Amino acid sequence: MFRQGQRRKKAPDYTLLIVIFMLLLVGVVMVYSSSAIWSSYKFDDAFYYAKRQLLFAFCGLMAMYFIMNVPYQKWREYSNIILIVCFLLLIAVLIPGIGMVRGGARSWIGVGAFSVQPSEFMKIGLIIFLAKLLSDKQKYITSFKKGFVPSLLLVFVPFGLIMLQPDLGTGMVLVVTCFIMIYIAGGRISHFMGLGLLGLVGFAGLIISAPYRISRIKAFLNPWEDPLGDGFQIIQSLYAIGPGGLMGMGLGQSLQKFFYLPEPQTDFIFAILAEELGFIGGTFVILLFFLLMWRGIRVALAAPDLFGSLLALGIIGMVVIQVFINISVVIGLIPVTGITLPFISYGGSSLTLTLLSMGILLNISRYAKI
Amino acid sequence: MKRVSQVTVRKRLVTVFILAAIFFIIMSFRLGYVQFVIGDMLTEKAENLWSRDIRLKPERGRILDRNGEALVENVSAPSVSVVPRQIKNPQKTAEQLAEVLNMSVEKAYERVTAKASVQDIKPEGLKLTEEQAIKIQELNLEGVYIAEDSKRHYPHGEFLSHVLGFTGIDNQGLAGIELYYDDKLKGEEGALSFFSDNKGHKLKDIAEIYTPPEDGLDLKLTIDERIQTIIDRELDLAESKYNPDGALAIVMDPDTGEILASDSRPDFHPGNFREVDAEIYNRNLPVWSTYEPGSTFKIITLAASLEEELVDLQEDEFTDPGSIEVGGARLRCWKSGGHGHQTYLEVVQNSCNPGFVTLGEKLGKEKLFSYIKDFGFGQKTGVDLHGEGKGILFDEEDVGPVELATTSFGQGVSVTPIQQVTAVSAAINGGYLYEPYVAKEWLDPVTGEVLEKTEPKVKDQVISEETSKEIRHALESVVAKGTGRGAYVDGYRVGGKTGTAQKVGEDGGYMDNNHIVSFIGFAPADDPEIVVYLAIDNPKNTVQFGGVVAAPIVGTIIEDSLRALDVKERKEGLAKEYQWPDQPKVEVPDLVGLSTKDLQQFLTNLSIDSEGEGEYIIEQSPAAGKMVEQGSTVRIFLSDEKPKNDSNE
Repeated sequence: MFRQGQRRKKAPDYTLLIVIFMLLLVGVVMVYSSSAIWSSYKFDDAFYYAKRQLLFAFCGLMAMYFIMNVPYQKWREYSNIILIVCFLLLIAVLIPGIGMVRGGARSWIGVGAFSVQPSEFMKIGLIIFLAKLLSDKQKYITSFKKGFVPSLLLVFVPFGLIMLQPDLGTGMVLVVTCFIMIYIAGGRISHFMGLGLLGLVGFAGLIISAPYRISRIKAFLNPWEDPLGDGFQIIQSLYAIGPGGLMGMGLGQSLQKFFYLPEPQTDFIFAILAEELGFIGGTFVILLFFLLMWRGIRVALAAPDLFGSLLALGIIGMVVIQVFINISVVIGLIPVTGITLPFISYGGSSLTLTLLSMGILLNISRYAKI
Repeated sequence: MKRVSQVTVRKRLVTVFILAAIFFIIMSFRLGYVQFVIGDMLTEKAENLWSRDIRLKPERGRILDRNGEALVENVSAPSVSVVPRQIKNPQKTAEQLAEVLNMSVEKAYERVTAKASVQDIKPEGLKLTEEQAIKIQELNLEGVYIAEDSKRHYPHGEFLSHVLGFTGIDNQGLAGIELYYDDKLKGEEGALSFFSDNKGHKLKDIAEIYTPPEDGLDLKLTIDERIQTIIDRELDLAESKYNPDGALAIVMDPDTGEILASDSRPDFHPGNFREVDAEIYNRNLPVWSTYEPGSTFKIITLAASLEEELVDLQEDEFTDPGSIEVGGARLRCWKSGGHGHQTYLEVVQNSCNPGFVTLGEKLGKEKLFSYIKDFGFGQKTGVDLHGEGKGILFDEEDVGPVELATTSFGQGVSVTPIQQVTAVSAAINGGYLYEPYVAKEWLDPVTGEVLEKTEPKVKDQVISEETSKEIRHALESVVAKGTGRGAYVDGYRVGGKTGTAQKVGEDGGYMDNNHIVSFIGFAPADDPEIVVYLAIDNPKNTVQFGGVVAAPIVGTIIEDSLRALDVKERKEGLAKEYQWPDQPKVEVPDLVGLSTKDLQQFLTNLSIDSEGEGEYIIEQSPAAGKMVEQGSTVRIFLSDEKPKNDSNE
């Protein structure tokens, strides 16, 4: 039982752990504050969303604690099975009758409240598999045919499936995370540049194929042109953030949550947070995410092997990119893309999967060579 | 194949870290930009979104005369609004409202189901009668509210309508003073604002903001209600007597430029302005109309000549042969045969055209036109009323001897009544050209405290006090001895000047038997208190002479006004001398067969009372040759056809 690896096992990164707990706390409080009005109206229970978020957080923490103690090398062993299961789920969700449509995308699978988003699982599944692939075949990574193209295929097949739902936000997180992993593993810059050109063409294609994306970009450039249509969400979001000022209106004092900002507990929760807690609260949360990234990359740097480095990097990259996209949308830096804010937005799949992946990260930190 | 070293992996990790850190900073800056730089703008817009206003209407300022008499006030006129969200049965509500408000059920239904938090029912639901308001209240409909509102009330009816103007359905000024001073009269709308959620429910935790409405200021005009009543009455009398195309009168205080009264016919009731043509309510004739002034304009020529010391009224003399040749053209005096030998004072009294032509020639075009402009002609007077005209003067380059000559007796120029009153006021008040005005004071509607006061504004001194005194004397003698006799008032030293101007027809030529007869008078001549200008456009059943038609009316206006103003009667001095105690009898001239144009020459010592219409006199009474007292009335009968047994030809 006393293998070498296990003897080196230390305590996890407590800073990382504290940051995770703080983000969770902010999340539960903000889910309650932003959803209270909406949930009293809809369910006659101000705590409807808050209670569930608390439950998800609890389940997520249990999962995190469990996973934190599973040596991360195990994921390497099961990566093939995990990937296959994820693929099956991702295909299943596209089948009407199995997959459920919410908010215009067929992204959920399951029964009623007990439903999950396979794309969330796919993100972590793919990160594990890619980390294994890249660390096993690192010597081929500079080769276009043997390294770059196979990795790309691995990324774009699930991306294509996710775009069939369609869920551009999750798809983007997946692709960008994987690209960063390939880059870190040693992918050639020239290959990425070529891909970048191709990506521009592909992006243009995606935009043309779905007219709502054009109008979203237009709405981003001048939201006030169509304040009740495509500009609606970003305007309502800015109407929340702007009046927040330095100190905010005070916890619970948001006005935009009074049915002005639709479903304020999910994608636009950061707007309500900035309205109630002001610039101070907003930058505090941004700082927490920065700390999270710093500790995550520190784990990646100190991981004992390349698989650990890439896995840690993939996990932290996935979370941080999601943060970037979500906050940028809310503060009007990029066009509206539906994606939740990790740890903070309401949502079971998202929160549990995020905490689960934090468990993996924390486990890697136990083997860090620092 | 190149191996990727551990170092490369670490380097790239650090690169990614730095890039991500930069993006964290960008996001923080953007958050700060939204919250601080555009935060106020966003907050303002957001508050508009959150707040729901119940509008509170201010009371429009009243309009008073110079003594505080109300000319325009407000009376309660409730309005009805609905809150569509609170109406449970829109169809029934619409039916009941439609019946009371006299509107179609479809339209009422549209209003009660409107997508608005509060919806006015416009225009049927505005300015309700007391009866309608009570009926609606009795219906006790949910979501239907009666709001206090007011509408304009005009206690004097059609009185001063062109100056006052009127308001529209929202109590907004649309014409006259109501429009000119709308900003001050209308006040500031107030509101009861409360924050609401996006479903229209009031947010209970946030206090309501009450912004009280600010009532409009009361406006005290320069108008004297008593004098206005006098000219109103006189214009009515003139209208019924002469059935003219139009008539107007202005009374000004020559020492301030304050307009004491102003009216014109046809007029309208400000509360029912829609019942008349837009032309009638849009044209405030005393400031809008421009026409040839005729002889009243001679006052300006006289003033210029006296100021330039080109003529001595007592000493210099002129013989009028009945016409004068100017630049090859023959300009006739209105009296055929001429006035003969006269002093220049008599030239003024007789309103002798050739005499004034010689004055114009002595002045020359530069001087005459410079005085005309100094007296304010050719430009707006700046009176605080809409639609003021500028008049038309000859272009100085185009002025030849003929144009100079006609201008000097008031032909070929076009002026407004307000310009004439302002100019003549300057001529007789010591030479000071004032800017005329009607808004005297702005009062706090509650305390009555004077908040703002218009001070008389002297634009220029155009002639000397001395010259002005001479003009007063000359014009007093016009009334005492000359063409202005009809305006004579015992006890008040009236000065003035008649005017009979031909109108230009559509063909560009002068029209026959269609004149604007006018008189401008002032009194008392030693210290004028008022200047009165009256013009009647195309009076019927009369000879169209200013001395016949306009002068007596101005006399009456001056007498009644000065009594109303408590101006002391003058017993001393000049006035008595003009009573002509030993008047010789005069022979009645043979008027039969004459044209009415030739009639004025006889009016210096006889009055004419005419009947019928036309250009020629066919009968007279008493008969020619009879001796009568000076000032007796000769009745004449007019016809369009010349009598056949015309012996005068």
